[in-house]
Amino acid sequence: MRRLQIALILAGTAALGACSSTPERPIEELETARAIVAQVESSPRAGVAAENISNARKSLGTANQLMESGGKLEDIRYQSLVATRNAQIANEKILLAQAKDELAQAEGERQKVLLQARNREVEAARMRAQSLEDELKDLQAQKTERGLVLTLGDVLFDTGKSSLKPGAYATIDRLARALNENPARQVQIEGHTDSTGSTDFNQTLSENRASSVQAALMQRGVSGGQISAMGKGEGFPIASNDTAAGRQQNRRVELIFTENQAGTTTPSMSRQ
Amino acid sequence: MDKSLVITGGALLLVALSGCGGVSEMTRQQVARSETAVQQAQGAIGNSEAGAVELQQAKERFAQAQQAVEKKDEQQAQRLAVMAELDAQLAVAKSQSAGARKAADELLASIRTLREEAERNSSR
Repeated sequence: MRRLQIALILAGTAALGACSSTPERPIEELETARAIVAQVESSPRAGVAAENISNARKSLGTANQLMESGGKLEDIRYQSLVATRNAQIANEKILLAQAKDELAQAEGERQKVLLQARNREVEAARMRAQSLEDELKDLQAQKTERGLVLTLGDVLFDTGKSSLKPGAYATIDRLARALNENPARQVQIEGHTDSTGSTDFNQTLSENRASSVQAALMQRGVSGGQISAMGKGEGFPIASNDTAAGRQQNRRVELIFTENQAGTTTPSMSRQ
Repeated sequence: MDKSLVITGGALLLVALSGCGGVSEMTRQQVARSETAVQQAQGAIGNSEAGAVELQQAKERFAQAQQAVEKKDEQQAQRLAVMAELDAQLAVAKSQSAGARKAADELLASIRTLREEAERNSSR
């Protein structure tokens, strides 16, 4: 095709000035015109260049006639060149139509790819949210009207103190990882005690225990904006303070998980 | 462009002055059409590569057509003008198809990039 075009250009430049002589061997311009006109005629998109193709046929027909009737070489060459040029223009119009079709198709494809990317992102966010739910479920968080509540029992703290025992680290690690993946999730940490000892002491102890869980999460990279901590003292028992087992249940830190996204209601807030 | 205008003007003036011995009205119109086509092609192509060769050929043939008009060579003037017009049309068609081809290729490349980015993100 390229060689053909170069030949056409050379032929086109040379032809008009040529002298006429009786053609003994094939006329290059005519051969070229026959080849390229046949080529564009056979294109499935020939319709986009109907006028040029029609002009090309007409000139090629004239050239062929002149050739048969022994017409002047100069005339045959001229008609051949006109046919070739028209066929070349037709060819470019066909290429233009093809490129435009591809453009339209590619634009549709681009929209599809963009949509897929968005969907994947949504899915990834959903998976991340799911992983926190799974962690909480695995840690046996309870579904309550305040949100998902995970209780860290008394055994995870030193007796009468607020520092976490190493036994709590595995749980804290998992929570920190899940919270890091879900910056929209909020956790509210509440410390509780039993009724043994003075109210003031219990209030302070519950605050300190809540704070040490908060500090442990923040040490593991959780944003301070996701966590709030408070001490509730002895006022919110979940079991009787009359038995040892009940008192142990009452000594606890609760982590309440809520969603902090626009449009999501957080039932735990209304209780405060 | 100005130069060619002057040349055309001069040619037409010569033709006018030479009176009934000049080329036919039809040929003069064909020469004028080829000039318009060359100007349009010049505007459409600018400095881009596609169609530049054909535009150059159109200019040369237009100039030769004008010379033929001066020489009162009716047939040469007519044929050269027809060829110049076709050259100019081919130049425009080539630059248009090249422009659309380039836009399509660029869009396809941007889609490839989007796909690769999406794959990187999802494998992360």
